[in-house]
Amino acid sequence: MKILVPLKRTADPDNANKIKIAPGGAKVVTDGLEPKPNPFDEYAVESALRLTENGTNPKARLAGDSVVVATFGAKEASQTLRQALAMGADSGLLFEASDENLDGDLVARALAKVVEREKPDLVVMGKQAVDGDSNQVGQILAERLGWPSATFAMSIELSQDKKSVIVGREVDGGVIKLKLALPAVITVDLRIVAPKSITNHVTPQTHNYQEGARYAPLPMIMAAKKKPLAEAPFASLGVEGVKTSYVKFEAPPARKAGIKVKDVPELVQRLRAEAKAL
Amino acid sequence: MDDLFNPTSEHRTLRQTIRSFAEKEIEPQAAEHDRLEKFNHALFRKVGELGILGLTVDPQYQGAGMDAAAVALAHEELSAVDPGFALAFLAHTLLFANNLSVNGSDAQKQRYLPDACTGARIGGMCMSEPGAGTDVLGLRTTAVRKGDRYVLNGAKMWITNGAVSDTELGDMFLVYARMEGAPRSKLSMFIVEKGFKGFSLGQKIKDKLGMRASTTAELVFEDCEVPVENLVGEEGDATVHMMRNLEIERLGLAAMSLGIARRCIEVMNRYATDRKSFGQPLRDFGQIQRHIAESYAEYMAGRTYTYWAASKLDLDKPGGRLDSDGVKLYCSTMAKNVADRAIQTLGGYGYVGEYRVERLWRDAKLLEIGGGTIEAHQKNMTRELARTEKLP
Ligand SMILES: Cc1cc2nc3c(=O)[nH]c(=O)nc-3n(C[C@H](O)[C@H](O)[C@H](O)COP(=O)(O)OP(=O)(O)OC[C@H]3O[C@@H](n4cnc5c(N)ncnc54)[C@H](O)[C@@H]3O)c2cc1C
Repeated sequence: MKILVPLKRTADPDNANKIKIAPGGAKVVTDGLEPKPNPFDEYAVESALRLTENGTNPKARLAGDSVVVATFGAKEASQTLRQALAMGADSGLLFEASDENLDGDLVARALAKVVEREKPDLVVMGKQAVDGDSNQVGQILAERLGWPSATFAMSIELSQDKKSVIVGREVDGGVIKLKLALPAVITVDLRIVAPKSITNHVTPQTHNYQEGARYAPLPMIMAAKKKPLAEAPFASLGVEGVKTSYVKFEAPPARKAGIKVKDVPELVQRLRAEAKAL
Repeated sequence: MDDLFNPTSEHRTLRQTIRSFAEKEIEPQAAEHDRLEKFNHALFRKVGELGILGLTVDPQYQGAGMDAAAVALAHEELSAVDPGFALAFLAHTLLFANNLSVNGSDAQKQRYLPDACTGARIGGMCMSEPGAGTDVLGLRTTAVRKGDRYVLNGAKMWITNGAVSDTELGDMFLVYARMEGAPRSKLSMFIVEKGFKGFSLGQKIKDKLGMRASTTAELVFEDCEVPVENLVGEEGDATVHMMRNLEIERLGLAAMSLGIARRCIEVMNRYATDRKSFGQPLRDFGQIQRHIAESYAEYMAGRTYTYWAASKLDLDKPGGRLDSDGVKLYCSTMAKNVADRAIQTLGGYGYVGEYRVERLWRDAKLLEIGGGTIEAHQKNMTRELARTEKLP
């Protein structure tokens, strides 16, 4: 089975509070913030690796399985691909583009071209990038490919014959399970990296993964040097034209300071009189 | 894309991986292990899974075969979150594993290095003694050969990783001693394991000012029996081993200083924006500007010097003496001063634990003492420079 995982570099999400808006609201300024892989994309890589390995030997993909990572971005984004290769992915594709010239729709069209070339059985991707929070690429891609899709996956079970997956999606009050015939598109949520959220019928049932995306061990970092990483201009994909343009960026209003109440009666009184919550 | 601080893409990935591991796994436990003066053995084993405990060890013995720049960045990143833990890492990775990897025989490496690389066993190095530190050739631990063993007598002091808890010895050590009757300059080195007859924990040293997340111990050798195959090199060979290994040790300690300085600058830089006084952010005041700007310039000077020295340092050959002393001389005091300015910039908030700089300030002081005092560096460097007429 071949899995494609698209990746995006974003400005350090742990320091999102340091993002500034350019004068006039023309754009978001992320100067001085470290570029890091979008966390949901790291979870997608982790998911793809778990689907294609025996968890007791995470260094190797199962025979016949492979994971391809792809990104559209600046040349430096190859670093993000290298990191995924060091985690265990087999090959990387960088299509050089500048973020400003992309929107969700164009990214999805470009990914559809990558899918055409790479012919994966499954696309696993983050549910959204933490910079724009658009949450649309997976959906548009599935539509364009005419493939079934499941968004916000919290669990994935690959069938024994590798022809379908059962995807758990967390919803208010419970979990919905969808069965998708492959090929398909899955977008993943935070819980997909819980210790037992992925089943592939090879990793023993008793195996517990460490919570989160794995760290690349140093020997794998060295080995990743020899893995194929192809670079090509974005234009080589033969898609172009953004349909979304940004009108204006505004910072969210500063939060007002809270107040302290001295006892429960005062709390009740204020909730009633001021917050009108009771 | 690649630069002095990340000479190759592998270095950069390694830095990112260690940084993200450090932020997620090491940072949350740092304050507590400092307060409790406790080594986090479980965390140490977890670092083993990253494959960095045998950073410079030949892959043949399960090491990573990396260079001095990798040593620098690993220590820098670990120290930025937890210098105490980083010191335990250094004692294991450089003082034990690198030392044995460079100087040991194939059989010795087969026997000890795989466990060192995975973290199954923890190592350290015993040079200093209660009565001899800077004057290391004045050490008094002796060895005599008796049949198929060497018998060691003496005591070692200040040994990082000497204990893993209040009462339990560390696992394996490289011990410098002098063959009875040998001249002052002829030291010999032995591999001594926990469990060897006559080898015991004298005391775990308590109430350290800083580096409290690493253990420091006095170790005692009382007719300690060491099999002859545990002599590293030949009798009398080890003074060269020691000098050679001190170079990478000092580079590692300089890099730890950089981690401390970087963290302190980040903290004071942010605080100077957030904190207002007389209606203005602190960063608008000239005296605070001096703290921040000088710290940054000194940090970058030290960082550039350290990574330049790393690029010149060959782990298998001596010869980097002047600059390995130089980077540690400069960076240790720089880090202490930067931590001091960070506390000053934060005022009362800097003096307590919440902002980390108080701990980093205490940890930084050790770097002016361990691995050679700054006075020792001055002495060594001046001696080296006596042979130099023109500088490069
Ligand atoms: C936390 C910690 C961890 C350590 N870990 C290890 C370890 O793992 N293994 C190990 O072997 N050692 C270790 N050490 C020991 C360390 O290397 C020594 O403390 C250091 O070399 C200084 O030796 P000393 O303490 O005996 O001081 P001394 O040598 O007695 O020095 C006292 C003072 O006199 C000065 N001085 C001495 N001689 C001269 C001179 N000729 N000219 C000018 N000034 C001089 C010194 O610079 C210093 O200021 C550790 C120490 C500490 C505190």
